[in-house]
Amino acid sequence: MELNVNNQKYSFEAEENMPLLWVLRDLLELTGTKYSCGIGQCGACTVLVNGQAARSCSIPVSAALDKNITTIEDSNSNSLLQALKDSWIQNDTPQCGYCQSGQIMNALALLSQNPNPTDEEIKMGMRGNICRCGTYPRIKKSIEQVIETNSKL
Amino acid sequence: MKRRHFFKTSTLASGGFLISAYLPFSCNEQVLETESWEPNFYVRIDPDNTITFICSRTELGQGTSVGLAMIVADELGMDFENLKTEFADGAIERYGDLQDTGGSNGLRMLWEPLRKAIATAREIFIVAAAQKWQLDPSDCFSENGFVYHNSSERKASYASLITLAKDLPAPFDIKLKDPSDYKYIGKRLIGERTRIIAEGKNPYSINVKLPNMLYAAVARCPTWNGNLIDFDDSKARSFPGVVDVIEVTAVEIQPDDFKGGVRSGVAVLASNTWAALEAKKLLEIQWDLGNLSRKSDTDVKEELLAQLEEPRTVTPEKRDIHNLFNRYSKGHEATYFSAYQTTTCMEPLNATAYHMGHKIEIWVGSQAPGMFRERISELTGLPEAAITIHNLPSGGGFGRRFHADYVEEAVLISEKVRKPVKLTWSREDTITTSKYHPYCVDHWEAAFNPTGEVMAIAYKGTIGSTNAYRPNPYALPMVHYNYVAEKGDRLLPRASWRSVFAHPWALGLECFIDELAHLAKKDPIAYRIELLDKAEVVEQVMEPWVGDNLYPKKLKETLEIVREKSNWGQVSEGIFQGVSGISYNTSYCSQVIDLSVEDGKVKVHKVTAVLNCGRVINPSQVESQIAGGIIWGLSAALKTQLTVVDGQVQQTNFDSYDLLRMNETPEIEVHLVDSNDEPSGAGEPGVPGVAPALLNAIFAATGERIRQIPIVKSSTYSIA
Ligand code: FES
Ligand code: FES
Repeated sequence: MELNVNNQKYSFEAEENMPLLWVLRDLLELTGTKYSCGIGQCGACTVLVNGQAARSCSIPVSAALDKNITTIEDSNSNSLLQALKDSWIQNDTPQCGYCQSGQIMNALALLSQNPNPTDEEIKMGMRGNICRCGTYPRIKKSIEQVIETNSKL
Repeated sequence: MKRRHFFKTSTLASGGFLISAYLPFSCNEQVLETESWEPNFYVRIDPDNTITFICSRTELGQGTSVGLAMIVADELGMDFENLKTEFADGAIERYGDLQDTGGSNGLRMLWEPLRKAIATAREIFIVAAAQKWQLDPSDCFSENGFVYHNSSERKASYASLITLAKDLPAPFDIKLKDPSDYKYIGKRLIGERTRIIAEGKNPYSINVKLPNMLYAAVARCPTWNGNLIDFDDSKARSFPGVVDVIEVTAVEIQPDDFKGGVRSGVAVLASNTWAALEAKKLLEIQWDLGNLSRKSDTDVKEELLAQLEEPRTVTPEKRDIHNLFNRYSKGHEATYFSAYQTTTCMEPLNATAYHMGHKIEIWVGSQAPGMFRERISELTGLPEAAITIHNLPSGGGFGRRFHADYVEEAVLISEKVRKPVKLTWSREDTITTSKYHPYCVDHWEAAFNPTGEVMAIAYKGTIGSTNAYRPNPYALPMVHYNYVAEKGDRLLPRASWRSVFAHPWALGLECFIDELAHLAKKDPIAYRIELLDKAEVVEQVMEPWVGDNLYPKKLKETLEIVREKSNWGQVSEGIFQGVSGISYNTSYCSQVIDLSVEDGKVKVHKVTAVLNCGRVINPSQVESQIAGGIIWGLSAALKTQLTVVDGQVQQTNFDSYDLLRMNETPEIEVHLVDSNDEPSGAGEPGVPGVAPALLNAIFAATGERIRQIPIVKSSTYSIA
């Protein structure tokens, strides 16, 4: 099998129904994407599939084979993803950090589709991502900061 | 587990590794060292003069490694950006109980010994340089890993001084840096770990991968003291990737201590995590569920309530207050209930263990790696020296990673297969077969004099034990009656959970005080302040962290500030406020919650918190901890609970144990009190005050006293 992750081709052997999450983590060693609930309830495993946010724990790898996968490891320095990472750092957003890959990837999908979300749209757009440490206020602030910077461009 | 005394810092050379003869900095005296050196257990100097802080505490997201590194950088006089941080392997012989991360006391416990250790290291290099230059040490100073001569160009790196320094006796008269010289302490610094996390590269133990490693998942007995009768693994074995299926023999679970213990179970070993987790579901297992299969949470509630009715007993030293209490008429009583909860760290419990027969190596995120090592030694019969625990940053701990069960399982499985084994608990495992924050029932009563003044209060309930009382900062004399507990096997084994017993304690005390204020027809903040004004310093007798005394004046100050910051009493129409003020070890936190209630739907609009945690090392992290603690408290007060039927937890994943989410999170404002007192904690103090402030605000809005959390448990209220 072959996957296109962050514009790079990866070859591997796996069962068709193995979730994308575990292919990324255990087979491709892209461990930035996290397991936490396995049933699409927490968002820790969020990646982008053709630009859309997807819970990688809940899609079989076979459904992702000819798509473009973007994970937290993507390192295009001019991207919106990089802007989000920078904002996350500036706001000292993470605590334990375990949910944050998923939060950042979900925020990336949110802002890609709607560069100027309202307060309510941010909250509703991010409600699928749990943070047990309770970093929601700073996640929101980090997103707002990126929106603000982008709107000045 | 017995706690040991902290061993004095001493010199200890670590195993050396060679480097090429190259120094990445200009240095006018090129003495090359080939070995690293640890002047003490907290710092290592490498031959290239890299200076590493060896952090004994666990990084769970509370930021302790950053705060401690700031202290090290300041005391050592070096640039924070150049200081590396590394986590210590589990070692009671090095750190004693200073390695246990709990009770929000990382900075509090290490503030003194860490600065001393670092200052000692600094001094020793100054003395070494002075000896080398045949100067008086007082003519030399140290900065950024170098020693300089005051009045010449002379300069020597720490690394170049290792050989000399090693043979020097540890200096006695250590002068600690004056706070006015701190460059970092008190600043909003962002640690290297923040960047690493944002890139998805934090090295959690769940990411560990070793050659020949097997991935394991365990099906555990749904009741904690039940046993395996038989299992059919034919379907599981035919799942692609499955390598083996083995029985996990139970290790006695002590439902009330840190040792862990292991539930009876069946382990699936596979070539990847998913195969192990999926094949586990295909196991057909017959359990003997044991005596707890006939017990449910409703039975526990009934049993505890019945015990509350039993005659009161009191320890001799409380007899006087008991007599005082009985002299007056009983005017008011209330019973408060709080539900079973579980921690659900976002990184599910996991551990990688490699039992090689004569030695064991473990990779884990643990809050007590030293105690875990002692426990694994006890369990396997291998000496502690043969056991290495690499402690990695955790995706949350909140007390749960203080309990060794998940590591014990990994070791026992690896012992059987003699291969490295990574055991991952599924989310369902962490909710259904874990250890839990207990169900609490607590009764409070007040005795009044004829003019209606409260003369004494009495507590009887599930918190504490006969000789470990929780503190009460108010001037009210208080009787602690006999401790109420389940007889026989507890329905669920207990684990620490962010703020532990301070949570139900604050629920009772801070709601009850509010009720007394209402009876006295006084403003709830004014009433508290009036009591605190009269109160003397209270001696802390709570175990196990016998810490500082309790200062009512400090609590009072946080209440005064929160009154102002929350615009107490001056909010817009339809908004109602509730207050609480708590002490947690030596931290004090007051909160005001603004909410509205419409058609039984509660909406929390804002939480204003004021914290006094002594000297603030890093305000950014402290604010973040308090906000996180408030969100934690809101989950438990508004939404989450575990119910138990026939010994089995009914909730399974985040769909049924649904934590607070961003759209339910109110505005949170945190204010920190300026203080030069010794630093204390911030990880837990945000939690306990949430539930009482919430319930007190609901009373303000509706006139109804709810006395149980989560509020969804009462039929009347839901969340807007
Ligand atoms: S792990 Fe995929 S949503 Fe939780
Ligand atoms: S930062 Fe720990 S779970 Fe979000």
